[in-house]
Amino acid sequence: MIPQLDYIIDKILPAFVTFYLVSLGHSIFEKSGILNLAIDGVFFTGTGAALLGAILPIIYNIPISPPVMGVLVATLIAAILGLFMSSVLTFLPISHGAVGLSLQFFSYGVGIMLGYYVRLAYGTIYGVSFAREDVLYLSIISLVIGVVLHLFIERTKIGAAIRAVGENPHSAAALGVRVMAIRIVAGMLGFALIGFGGALFILSWQRSWDVKLFTLGYGWLAFATALAAGRHPIVLIPVSLLFGGLVNSQTDIQSRLGIPADVAKLIPFLAALALMLIYSTTRLRRIFASPSSLGKPYYKEEKSI
Amino acid sequence: MRIVLVRRKKPLKYGGLVVALLSLLSGIFVFTIFAWLIGVNPYPVVETIVTTFIFPGVVKDFIILTLLGYALLIAFKGALWNIGAEGQMHMAFLVSIYITLIVFFTTEKSLPLYISIGVILLSIVAAVAAGALWGGLAGVIKAYAGVDEVPVTLILNYIAYFIGDILVYGPFRGKYVYGYARTDLIPDPYKLSIPVQRQLSGNALIDTVTGYMAEFATYAVWLVALILVLIFTYWLLNKSNIGLRIKILGSNPDYLVSLGYDVRKTMVLTFMLSGAIAGLTAALYYHGSLYRIEYPLEYNTASYGYLAILVAWLSMLDVYLVPLSAYIVSAVILGSQRVSSLPSVREAFTRLQLGGAEMAFKLLMFGSILLAYSILRFIQDYELKVVS
Repeated sequence: MIPQLDYIIDKILPAFVTFYLVSLGHSIFEKSGILNLAIDGVFFTGTGAALLGAILPIIYNIPISPPVMGVLVATLIAAILGLFMSSVLTFLPISHGAVGLSLQFFSYGVGIMLGYYVRLAYGTIYGVSFAREDVLYLSIISLVIGVVLHLFIERTKIGAAIRAVGENPHSAAALGVRVMAIRIVAGMLGFALIGFGGALFILSWQRSWDVKLFTLGYGWLAFATALAAGRHPIVLIPVSLLFGGLVNSQTDIQSRLGIPADVAKLIPFLAALALMLIYSTTRLRRIFASPSSLGKPYYKEEKSI
Repeated sequence: MRIVLVRRKKPLKYGGLVVALLSLLSGIFVFTIFAWLIGVNPYPVVETIVTTFIFPGVVKDFIILTLLGYALLIAFKGALWNIGAEGQMHMAFLVSIYITLIVFFTTEKSLPLYISIGVILLSIVAAVAAGALWGGLAGVIKAYAGVDEVPVTLILNYIAYFIGDILVYGPFRGKYVYGYARTDLIPDPYKLSIPVQRQLSGNALIDTVTGYMAEFATYAVWLVALILVLIFTYWLLNKSNIGLRIKILGSNPDYLVSLGYDVRKTMVLTFMLSGAIAGLTAALYYHGSLYRIEYPLEYNTASYGYLAILVAWLSMLDVYLVPLSAYIVSAVILGSQRVSSLPSVREAFTRLQLGGAEMAFKLLMFGSILLAYSILRFIQDYELKVVS
């Protein structure tokens, strides 16, 4: 094969799908007006759940490909977390940030519990990971998901409702939107995608798992990616390509430019900041603005009591 | 029949305390079920958590988290979500290290008092300035470019970590570190903690009391700083013109414009004040307990900067409740550490082939208690009613 294609398959695409799916999920989630500071925790839970899921077909002889099962389990568990977070934050007028951060710590713990046993008992996870070329299909699948979600948000009634509850849940409710139902849809969908991304992080990109994986802060980088692309599913494609490429090419950048490792680590973060500065100071800003009710506690006054 | 949420006419009496106790109970309950599921006797677990609330080891985290809680309180009052206390602390560490380990480095065991105090003061002032500048940078980006401050402060944290990593790996690496990537220890004359010797009496109550006294004596300087910061924050938010501007910024920025104030400058100023207190905390922490920083930098602060966000949020932005929520958060952290090193917990983990994953236990417990606390916070101002 052509060397450039090898480079793309080995280095760029695995990082791209991970970042794309996680930041896509984050964007959908936040479009419904709930601030998601649990992203890094959910991402890590996704990695642990994927590891556990990938082992299940081997233990119980289930006729399903191990990595696919890993993805399924990861999305399912992440979606449950999403259901919990979005319903609690819609039902009760409490701080989104405090719940998100506490849930983050909690889900770090859940992630360790899910993945630790498998790691000890099986060690290497190459056998249950996606094959090298599979990343091509995964990229196509994630791009399709992205485009479909974009159309879903922009063109369908439910999509409009998600945007409406993000902008102003009170007016949306007055117009007959069921805020709770809509936020649960967005929450489960968003977290499921974050879990999907977490699964691909270990099953297609890293092909290894460690207890301290969460200290890398990749979930937070995906958070920045989503913001840098203004939570727009299509704009996210080039931005996550850039970030995935930057993160995964660190060693190459390092050796080619002859700079220390930590300077290379700085580059993705500086790029995120630069992107945000660029779009904020230009006209793009209006398109990429945050939902106006993002992170605001929602309380519907009961008039009848 | 359905359940509705109604706002209370008056906030619940002793609401802060009630919420704290209730959430602890429910957090501990969730956690006990979990412990029971993996076959750990819940009794010692609960006992350890509860006794941590009267455990002298809490004092250190309590002081640091209260200070940082005030730093964030100021920003949060202005509706500026400063997630960047970590970064502001790290920039402050770096200037403190430059002053104490590069410019005024000494191998002497003791120096004249005025030199020690002078260097410490210089280091603190420089750290405050560094924190304020790093916070101010986020403020400028927010105010003049209009970028959301949450990702900006978050990214600035990582940028601060990596700048620190570069420095600690290179020019700041110590001369007496045997090749480790870390700085030298801070010279003895610049240490701010007061070593206290105490004898155990064997009586649990007396030992606890003397333990607290010893901890407070060790960190006496921190305590003084804490009281000063508390008074400053109270004065700033309730008595000063700047505080009023910050509060208006948080509730209605348009009003600030019609009053003739510059919203952008107020934003930058708020961030600088917040960063300044974070910088002060960093200098105190470095001089009083940390003594050196190590590569990679993000492990040095034990996530204080992020925990402080919880402290500020859990206090419901009330100046008086910041110490309470800081105490709860620090007791929960310490309690989770103590629980995960209990023999019965260790044994259960080994039996389940999870040996080494005690960290999970710590995070789960810490997470479930804080989650319960964040959620139950609503009962202070709201109540649940069943209507037909």
